Amino acid sequence: MSVRCESIDINLNKREILKNISIEVNEKEILSIIGPNGAGKSTLLKSLAGDINPISGNIFYDEKNINQIDIQERAFTRSVMSQLQPIAFDFSVKEIVEMGWVDRGESEYADQFDDAVNEVIRKCGVKDLIDRNFNTLSGGEQRRIHFARTLLQLWRPSNSNDPKYLFLDEPTANLDLTYEIKLLNIVKEVAQEGAGVMLVLHDLNLAAKFSDKVAILKGGSLIDIGLPKDVLKSTLLSEIYEIDVEVKNDPLLITYY
Amino acid sequence: MNSFLSAIGIKNIHISSRQIIILNVFVITSCVCFLIASVTGSINVSIGNLIRGDISELTRIVLIEIRLPRVILAALVGASLGISGAALQGLFRNPLADPGLIGVSAGAALGATLVIVLGSSISSGLFLGSFLLPLGAISGAMLVIMMLYLLTKGFGYQGVTYMLLVGIAVNAIAGVGIGILTFISTDSELRGLTFWTMGSFGGVTWPLLIPAIVIIIISISSMMTVSRNLDLIQLGEPEAYRLGVDVKKLKYKIIISCAAAVGASVSLSGMIGFVGLVVPHLVRLFGGVNHNYLLPGSAFVGAALMITADMLSRTIIQPAELPVGLITSAIGSPFFLWLIFRIKRS
Repeated sequence: MSVRCESIDINLNKREILKNISIEVNEKEILSIIGPNGAGKSTLLKSLAGDINPISGNIFYDEKNINQIDIQERAFTRSVMSQLQPIAFDFSVKEIVEMGWVDRGESEYADQFDDAVNEVIRKCGVKDLIDRNFNTLSGGEQRRIHFARTLLQLWRPSNSNDPKYLFLDEPTANLDLTYEIKLLNIVKEVAQEGAGVMLVLHDLNLAAKFSDKVAILKGGSLIDIGLPKDVLKSTLLSEIYEIDVEVKNDPLLITYY
Repeated sequence: MNSFLSAIGIKNIHISSRQIIILNVFVITSCVCFLIASVTGSINVSIGNLIRGDISELTRIVLIEIRLPRVILAALVGASLGISGAALQGLFRNPLADPGLIGVSAGAALGATLVIVLGSSISSGLFLGSFLLPLGAISGAMLVIMMLYLLTKGFGYQGVTYMLLVGIAVNAIAGVGIGILTFISTDSELRGLTFWTMGSFGGVTWPLLIPAIVIIIISISSMMTVSRNLDLIQLGEPEAYRLGVDVKKLKYKIIISCAAAVGASVSLSGMIGFVGLVVPHLVRLFGGVNHNYLLPGSAFVGAALMITADMLSRTIIQPAELPVGLITSAIGSPFFLWLIFRIKRS
């Protein structure tokens, strides 16, 4: 079970954003994409999530070409959290979380709606916010609520073996240290439960701590991919970010100057 | 309430028990307004006599041939303007969207006046009244919504200013168009045209009403089927797409339904301002913003408000009649100002 892209090229507004990228996210695995601004990280995440069609190459969900998967089936299989837009009307927090529920039309799922919502609310620790007006929350709190919504979309009954993939674009933006770690611990838990996870991260230490694999992107090209300890090397990182980077092993710790 | 709905097989309707109670209150209120408006007017009928069937032949004719179609039309127009306002506000993700303000009603009025002045030479009276007139109004409404769609870059959230400016421009263009058509129209056509700018439910008959009933009920039902998707699109188009919403299909469904509902309404009642703006906000104040509650709520409150406004228009200065648009504008314009101040504050 995996999401895989093979030699994809993506152009946006006649500009080449991604060049010949091949990458795979397996179940029970966290893959973090790192790289400087404009490297094409978010575009790669969006293309694997099915938002952007590559001009060449293919994307497969469990060996099925993404073009053969309809919008509804995609919604059952993967959930995405990316840059968020302001919400014009005063929805409650609970309503925003519940928007993550994709109705499958099967009573097995429908009967467990309340349980699923409560489980996600508990897991994300947002119970104290649930009756508030979403627009009155801080940026960090809003992000936590959107994360809970994203998790609800991927909720499965405990006996389900359906594949699920989670795509998160800078999920820790606006979060304080506590919630940054809490959120990534939940992501780890979701991966252990069987999900394939793709993260776009700027913090190299978080990528080192929470990822099973790290991919480095620069100028739309895949520079390297592999285990964090194999990829996060001071020479390569210094070259990519054009600053001095020191890397210590056991535990992996990255310092920039 | 939710457990009852669950027991009868209705699950996860994304509406709270409180909202279901509020919707029931709206339904009862609109039924009461309907009943009171049906027996109130130049000929008053006591409800007791009506129930007993103790009414004269003249009263019966007035009730069935004049009063009833008028009250039904007011209810339908109120419902369609209310629900169209709510759906357009949802689609545009903009609390200021209103079929009147953004020029949709004006487009419909221009389409209808074009049919009145130019169409009389090409078709017979009944056909013109029953089908060509709503069709002209619907085409005008749809043209305006499509123009708005293009100028606001697909109804993006950033398109607020554009949308209102386009509304001003369209209202002005429609004003010029109706002015020119008034100038070239004959005396009999002129009488038909004057009410477009002020709105009235007078003079409606069953043959004119029935096609409008069909069009409006189909449009309202069509909007109701996408209420959940209107909630999801509040998260932004990419998010809605990721949650399984066919965004393009949703947009076309709302555009066509609103154009049909507003067009059919305007073709029979003229331009009635502010209902589509005020009603959804009132409904939100009572019970929340989710569209499973907001759309039916706006339809019922719109109906109740319009029935009441029409009843006032024909009873305040009896035997003369005030244009109903005057009453809705008198209520709506201060509300609009309040809304602008509220948005500015937040």
